[in-house]
Amino acid sequence: MTVHPTVWVDEARPAAAPRRGALRRMLARNAPGYLFLAPWLIGFFGLTLGPALVSLYLSFTNYDLLRAPDWVGAANYVRIATDDPKFAAAMRVTFIYVVLSVPLKLVFALAVAMAFNRGIRGLTVYRAIFYLPSLLGGSVAIAVLWRQLFASDGLVNMLLWKAFGIEGPSWVSNPDYSLYTLVVLSIWQFGSPMIIFLAGLRQIPTDMYEAAEIDGAGKARQFFKITLPLLTPVVFFNAVIQTIEAFKAFTPAFIISEGTGGPINSTLFYTLYLYQEAFGFFRMGYAAALAWILLVIIALFTAFSFLSARYWVHYDD
Amino acid sequence: MTDATVTAAPPSRGRRSRTRSLLIHGALIAASIAMLYPILWMVSGSVRPQDELFGTTSLIPSSVDFGSYLRGWMGLQVSFGQFFWNSLVISVLATIGNVLGCSLAAFAFARLRFGGRNFWFALMLGTLMLPYHVVLIPQYILFLELGWVNTPLPLIVPKYLATDAFFIFLMVQFFRGIPRELDEAAVMDGCGPFRIYFRIMLPLSLPVLATAAIFSFIWTWDDFFGPLIYLNDINTYTVQLGLRSFVDSTGTSDWSALFAMSNLSLVPVFLFFLFFQRLLIEGIATTGMKR
Repeated sequence: MTVHPTVWVDEARPAAAPRRGALRRMLARNAPGYLFLAPWLIGFFGLTLGPALVSLYLSFTNYDLLRAPDWVGAANYVRIATDDPKFAAAMRVTFIYVVLSVPLKLVFALAVAMAFNRGIRGLTVYRAIFYLPSLLGGSVAIAVLWRQLFASDGLVNMLLWKAFGIEGPSWVSNPDYSLYTLVVLSIWQFGSPMIIFLAGLRQIPTDMYEAAEIDGAGKARQFFKITLPLLTPVVFFNAVIQTIEAFKAFTPAFIISEGTGGPINSTLFYTLYLYQEAFGFFRMGYAAALAWILLVIIALFTAFSFLSARYWVHYDD
Repeated sequence: MTDATVTAAPPSRGRRSRTRSLLIHGALIAASIAMLYPILWMVSGSVRPQDELFGTTSLIPSSVDFGSYLRGWMGLQVSFGQFFWNSLVISVLATIGNVLGCSLAAFAFARLRFGGRNFWFALMLGTLMLPYHVVLIPQYILFLELGWVNTPLPLIVPKYLATDAFFIFLMVQFFRGIPRELDEAAVMDGCGPFRIYFRIMLPLSLPVLATAAIFSFIWTWDDFFGPLIYLNDINTYTVQLGLRSFVDSTGTSDWSALFAMSNLSLVPVFLFFLFFQRLLIEGIATTGMKR
């Protein structure tokens, strides 16, 4: 049996190249790779890159699906920037949501992970319980539940009445509070960053703490001088992922406000506004412009995070 | 279930550490109850008399009545049985597509040699950050032109084209950890790339394939945005859309039935949680899954 020279497989050492037929060799070399990659390539061009470029084009047009797109130059962007109170409201709501929910969620996640890290009994049970809301929380069912919990006669107000004799407002239908019920919903789902923190905490060698203890460093000092600095890569990762997710939040606001983003735009998340423009009013060009602005915001945020990382994220080696 | 951290618990050091551990357990148990209370509230709310839902904070119903499940099941002009069937079909087919499409691409990136590999890999990573909304409208127009709106196809077909780059990345990481000697030996035995993929890579990658499958099932099951856009005919609704219609049609008049259907919609996810908890948690710990 002869061993065929195989050039397609990615071996550690380069395989011996056959002598004849440069074209054939090139085909033999590349064909299997591109064959395996074909579904992804079709998806990439047909469903990702192509549509992204088309939506960039559409963002410079007015388009209602019925008539051909009508080129309007930068008019959509100009209107968004200067003359769209709903856009301003959506930005405000989304930023408040991101700025409140992400740090609070991470603080909870880290605090619980720290409590677990002492190697307590029954850790797997606690961890499972704390993770469950994170797994279930994205569904419509939980959003439905939240509407009941924070209704005027819902569970939260009953508890407030029983415990403190306070008559709570109707949280979900009061524009001053409705957004914060969604922030609470987000914080409740701290399970997955908690698990990531827990994995990160286990990487920290215990002898560092032993050495610090011998040197007389207290628990707080150990936390700020050892735990937190060594954990910054995980904090960074969690912060970036959770922020991007928070920018894209949709379902809870949609269910709690019945798709309106109300009361008085107080839960008008950015993606909810985009959905209304596209599929409520069929202003596809305008919605495409909103989508590109979202892309730019996320890209800027990501770039800024990675640039800032070198000043506060601790990487050894 | 066993866990390394449990066995690694430090030996207790006298009475002080004992009160300390009692305190920690007390706090954790209280926190656990607070975390689960809303979910348990919904479970008990589905079987208790309606007026009790707004009169007591207790989890124990005064009487139990499963009638709400029947009312909910038949609450819309199409039964929830149809919605569950639709959700199941979409989730199963999308999951198969995701695992198949992403593992093919991941195999190419991790193991095959071809011109432009690094270029494509970088582009693939670039799509990780791309918000779905940027491609939403042109995709909608495309599927509208194809006559796919009001069919499950827009929610299934893209998965076979590996559009969820996150899973490709997950698998590439895992495939790279499989010893290369195995495929080299297979090549020596005359195996082609397809046989290496099917006979070596896939069988050795079952943990990552299972993790990817479970997460894609749960995410597809829970997905609300996609079905909201593509499914307008009530016969094609998924469970999530059915629930939303139920909220709109009953408003706040029949909370028990609404809770009953909400509970049922969570059952599949909960079953995955019960049986594959370890895989889920390891999946998150090693890859940084968002949920």
